[in-house]
Formats: sequence, structure tokens, C-alpha cells
Amino acid sequence: MSKWSNHCVAVMPLVFGFFLSTVLFTGAIAANHHRPKHPGIGRDATPAEVRAWDIDVRPDFKGLPIGTGSVAQGQLVWEGKCESCHGTFGESNAVFTPIIGGTTQQDIVRGRVAGLRDEKNQRTTLMRVATVSTLWDFIHRAMPWKAPRSLSVDETYAVLAFLLNLADIVPSDFVLSNINISEVQEKMPNRNGMTLQHGLWSVSGKPDVNNVACMQNCPTSARITSFLPDKVRNANGNLLNQHRTYGPYQGVDTSKAPLPNLPSNDQDPKILDTLETVKQ
Amino acid sequence: MMEKKSRGQTQLAPENFLSAEHIQEIQQYGLDDQRRGFLRQSFLSAVGFSSVAHAQSQSEGEPAILEKQIWQTTLGNPVAKNPYGMPSIFEKNLIRRESPGLTRVSEASVAFTPLQGLFGIITPNGLHFERHHQGWVDVDPERHRLMVHGLVKNARVFTMNDLMRLPSTSRIHFIECGANTMFEWANVAVPTVQYTHGMLSCCEFTGVPLGVLLEECGADLKKGKYLLAEGGDGSGLTRTINLSEVLHEAIVAWGMNGEMLRPENGFPLRLVVPGVQGVSWVKWLRRLEVGDMPYASKDEAVHYSDLMPDGRTRQYTSIQECKSVITTPSGGQRLLEKGFYNISGLAWSGRGKIKRVDVSVDGGQNWQTARLETPVLSKALTRFHLDWVWNGAPAILQSRAIDQTGYVQPTIHMLRAVRGTRSIYHNNAVQSWRIAANGEVSNVQVE
Repeated sequence: MSKWSNHCVAVMPLVFGFFLSTVLFTGAIAANHHRPKHPGIGRDATPAEVRAWDIDVRPDFKGLPIGTGSVAQGQLVWEGKCESCHGTFGESNAVFTPIIGGTTQQDIVRGRVAGLRDEKNQRTTLMRVATVSTLWDFIHRAMPWKAPRSLSVDETYAVLAFLLNLADIVPSDFVLSNINISEVQEKMPNRNGMTLQHGLWSVSGKPDVNNVACMQNCPTSARITSFLPDKVRNANGNLLNQHRTYGPYQGVDTSKAPLPNLPSNDQDPKILDTLETVKQ
Repeated sequence: MMEKKSRGQTQLAPENFLSAEHIQEIQQYGLDDQRRGFLRQSFLSAVGFSSVAHAQSQSEGEPAILEKQIWQTTLGNPVAKNPYGMPSIFEKNLIRRESPGLTRVSEASVAFTPLQGLFGIITPNGLHFERHHQGWVDVDPERHRLMVHGLVKNARVFTMNDLMRLPSTSRIHFIECGANTMFEWANVAVPTVQYTHGMLSCCEFTGVPLGVLLEECGADLKKGKYLLAEGGDGSGLTRTINLSEVLHEAIVAWGMNGEMLRPENGFPLRLVVPGVQGVSWVKWLRRLEVGDMPYASKDEAVHYSDLMPDGRTRQYTSIQECKSVITTPSGGQRLLEKGFYNISGLAWSGRGKIKRVDVSVDGGQNWQTARLETPVLSKALTRFHLDWVWNGAPAILQSRAIDQTGYVQPTIHMLRAVRGTRSIYHNNAVQSWRIAANGEVSNVQVE
């Protein structure tokens, strides 16, 4: 009962607000229609068309449709439509990177995933994502893999509730809804893990580092610190077949061991003379 | 016995070493290893035969000149035999390729551009790199719509007919995936420039300026600082566009190098956001929503965000900083002999034009300024060259670009010191290619 009344309180203004805005919008067309610069090009979108396509959900939950889904309902959807790729517990690394794993109760309290500091750790979706809206939006817009946009709104809530339970963010009897999703946001393990303090959002942003254009006797040993061992030289396929078979830059036959020396060592003496001159 | 042929009559060249069936087979299926082996064998026997004939007259010249070739002595193909022209059968090796083990599903993978074989700055449409998140689709242009809504006076719908009637512009820009060179953060991992840098292409894009479209709808650009771009495919990929940064340059494009976009590149409509990483160039573009806050979509909240060593994630990292790479000679190639070579490569910056490129052949100890080929365009690939005579000694080739802001392309060690080794995206480090004494070129990192 209390839950239902909660719904009513929240839902009514939304419905009413939508109705009102539709009326205002329609009125606005007649009174204050923006005059396009290029006559005869394009047309106004109908409210139904905008509703059909405007499916994104923002971090402030603008765009989130009304609905509910329980962990138990989510498990049923999961087993039927998600498990084969993502594993029983969302842990599978077989097809995609794991969704679940690597978060702790302490992370949920802090809002920062400690495991992200260790470069050796596999990074899961729940470790990285800061906004629960992202998960709702993506599941609803693009999942399941081979049948995107086939989950209903309530199924989306249910699958998300199931995942949140797997990550120990909500209890197993939890029912996720448009009303309580903002409370879930306050428990997202990496909710405080994002920053916009960097130079790559703006063209005039400050780069992390700036090299020096040294030209002569530069401070480097030119020592090789990393190279591909001969035993993996064919790992990307035979490179002979990935280059032109003619011209100056032909491919190495990586199906064979490296040649001991340059095949054409016995060259035209005139070229060798030139080389000597260049050396000096 | 020589028989006098009447004028104009065609005959098969005597040195024709491939049967008509074989030529047809190669044209149809390309040069795989088996056919290549046959070709080589046939060629060797043909050469072997002729070398006997020419042994006594070697000083007269080489058979390629002294003997008539099949293409000189037969009737050529008719026009429009290939109504849509294809590269020569001898170019079959230069194709887009996946890198083994990168992803486990090819619908969410990458096919890399073969930069090792390209000239100039334009990427041929069939070789433009591919990156899809849920497979590629061939959208029916008659049923494709673009909706512009959100903080606009009028939400509007445009057909392709509408869009292609609007005043259009054509501009050349590079597109680089934010994850280009991702394999190389911790160590060398892949052998050729196709895999190290091949999530990079550059085309002339044609379309309507984004600003024209937004104005058409009465967009509130004071409140609406952000634009959500959404694709019309199954993934419905969405990205937040920083409007104030790119509005003057972004294009809603249908054209690519003079023809319509390829399906793999978003036919019939994609967003072009010069200087910004490829994922924001939303393909199969169906919707633009003007908004007042970023949207934190999956590809800006889980992926395409840079994890720092302190565990914090940089979100909405977008700009592709100044970068360059030598494409010839490059990893997996071999120099056949000592002597003159043209070192050539590409430089680009998401912050404007390339000002200068320096090249080192001794692992960064000494540098020479390369020759920039025109045109040098803002946020486009720039081709550079350096004359070089290889003396046969081991060498390490590097290029280092400087853009119009004065920013100098960093080393991998400089980047690692700030970003660690697992931030995946935005690796714009100097690339090193080692040339061994046996002529083999390989991917290395130096300090």
C-alpha cells in the first residue's frame, strides 16, 4: 500500500506534466513557430515520433520510463536471454568482458573501486561504471546481443535489479523501479570514480605531457626495451602476404626463421662506394 | 617455325606462362598461398626457359624489356568489364584485417587499415578501417530519418532527400579510433603498422554543416551545450558531443571520397567531428538531441574513458592529440638491399595543422626535419618524407610530429609516467621501427 501510494505521488505529476507540456507544445507551434531558413526542407516531428526515438536515459534519470522489476524476475530473463554470453553470474569472460566482480562493500561505502588501482586486475563493468542510468539505458537500447531492443521496460528493470544483486548492491528481494533507482545510484561502487579534470575534452585543453624537440645528441640511450620475440613473428599471420609482393617494402616471410644476413650483400660496387661516402 | 601473321591479328604471347583459366581464377578468388605458389612456379619455369635462350646475350638487357609481355601482345579487356572498378590482382595483400585475439566476436571488433601500403593522405573507401559495436548494417536510405530535438524550438525530421538538398560542404579530415595503438601501452604487442596504427583513416567528407541543421530547428545553444548523437543500428550507439567545441566544424555527412558512405562506415549518414576520436563520429546517424548535460552513455561511462593509475577514470576524453608514424619502412617489411630509400609516414593532430615532423634513424639521438607534402590541412593526415641511404647497419627509425599549438609528440615513457600502462585509449607516443642487418623491420620500443 505504501509502495503504491509512493508510485501515485511520483507518477501523477509526471503524467500530468507530460499532458500539460504536450498541450503547451501544440499551442506553441501556432504562436511561436521557428521559421526554418530553408523552406520545404524537413518537417516537424510529432510527439509520438519523439517519444518513439527519444530512448536515452541521462544520469539525472531524465528519459527513464515508469516501471518496476524484481531480482527474481530478472533472473528468469537472465537465464533465458543473457546467460549464454555473460555467464550465470555475469562473471563470464568467454564472449565479452565480465560485468560482475571486483567490487567490495567498502567500495560501495566509498564510491570508489579500490581494485581499479591495481593494473593486474581484470576490470569489470560494475567496477568501472559510475552511473546506474548508463546500465539501464544500454540494456534497454542494445541488449540482448542478437535481438536488441526486444526487452520491455519492466524486463529491463528486472535484469538490472538482478545484476545489482549479483554485485551485492541490492538485496535478493529487491524490486527496482523508476522511484528508487536514485537510491541505488548512491550505492554504485564507482560513483565517485570519474573525473573531467583532463585536457582531452576541449580542443584548447592542456596536454598531460609535452616533449622537447631536441635535434642533436639527445638524451636517450636508444636502448631497446621491448620487442617481439622470433617465436611469435607469425602470430598475426604470415606478413609476407600482408604487403606488396613487389616494390621496395615487401613483407617478411614470417613462416620461416629470420635470414642470417641481407640476401643481396654482394651488391654493385658502385652502390657500396656511395654507401661509404655517406658513412663518412 | 615462324609464320607471318596478317596485320592486326592478335596472338597469345609465347611467354604467356599463365593459362586463361588461371588468370580467371586469380581474378575471381585472389592470390591465396596455393595460387601464389603456382604463380611463382610457373613464372620460374618461364624465366628458366627464357634464361637459357638469353644466357648468351645477357649483356643485351633484361627479358622484361627484350621480350614481349602478354599485356602488350593481346587484346585488352572491354570497358565496364568491372562496372565498379577494383584494384589490380597484384594488390590483393592490401586489405583490412582483424588482429587475432583482439575480440571474441567479429561484430564487436576492428578491421585495420593497411597503412603500410597507402600513399598520400586519402584512404581508399574500401580500406577505411572498420569498428562496429554490434555488427554493421546496410540501411535503406529511403526509410532512413534524422530527428533533431531536445532544446530546440521545433523538433524536426529530415529525410535523405531533405538533407541532400541543403547547402553542403566537403572537407578532408582524419578519423582515428581513441583506442588506436592500444596494444602498445605496456610493451610491443603487434608486428605491423596496420595493427599498431590502422584504426586511422582520412577521407573527404561531404555533408551539411551541423550548425546549419541546428539553426534550422531553432536550437537553444546557450542552454544546450551538449549534443547526443545516436546511431540507427542495433547498438544504437550514443555519444555526447561537446557542442561549443565542435559546432563550427562538425558535418552531418553522407559523402566519402566522392561517393556515398560505405555501409561499414555508416551509410547513408554519419556525424563527422574533426579532431575528435572516431566513436563520436556516430554511424547510421538517426537522432541528434540538444541537451544541457552530458549523457554518460555506455561508450563514455564503461568504455572510451581513460583509467588512470590512481584508479580514477577520465570521462569524455575526446580529442586526438598530435601523433605520427612512419609507414614505410615499417614493421613486417624487409629492405631488400642497401642504398636509397624514401622514409615516408603520416602525421596528424586533433588540435589543428601539423607544423613540423622530425625523423630519427638512430633511435632518437639525432633528428632531421622531414619534408611535408601538401596539402597540410587542419585535422587531416599530413604526409611526410625523408630521403635516406641505408648503409646496411642496424637502425631505429622514429618520427616526431609538432602541431600548430607547439605540442611535441611524446615518447611512450613520458605517457606511461602519467597514465600508467592500462589506460587503453589515446596512446599518441612516438613509434620506433628497428631495421636489422638482415633488412627485416620490426616493432620495438626504446628508452
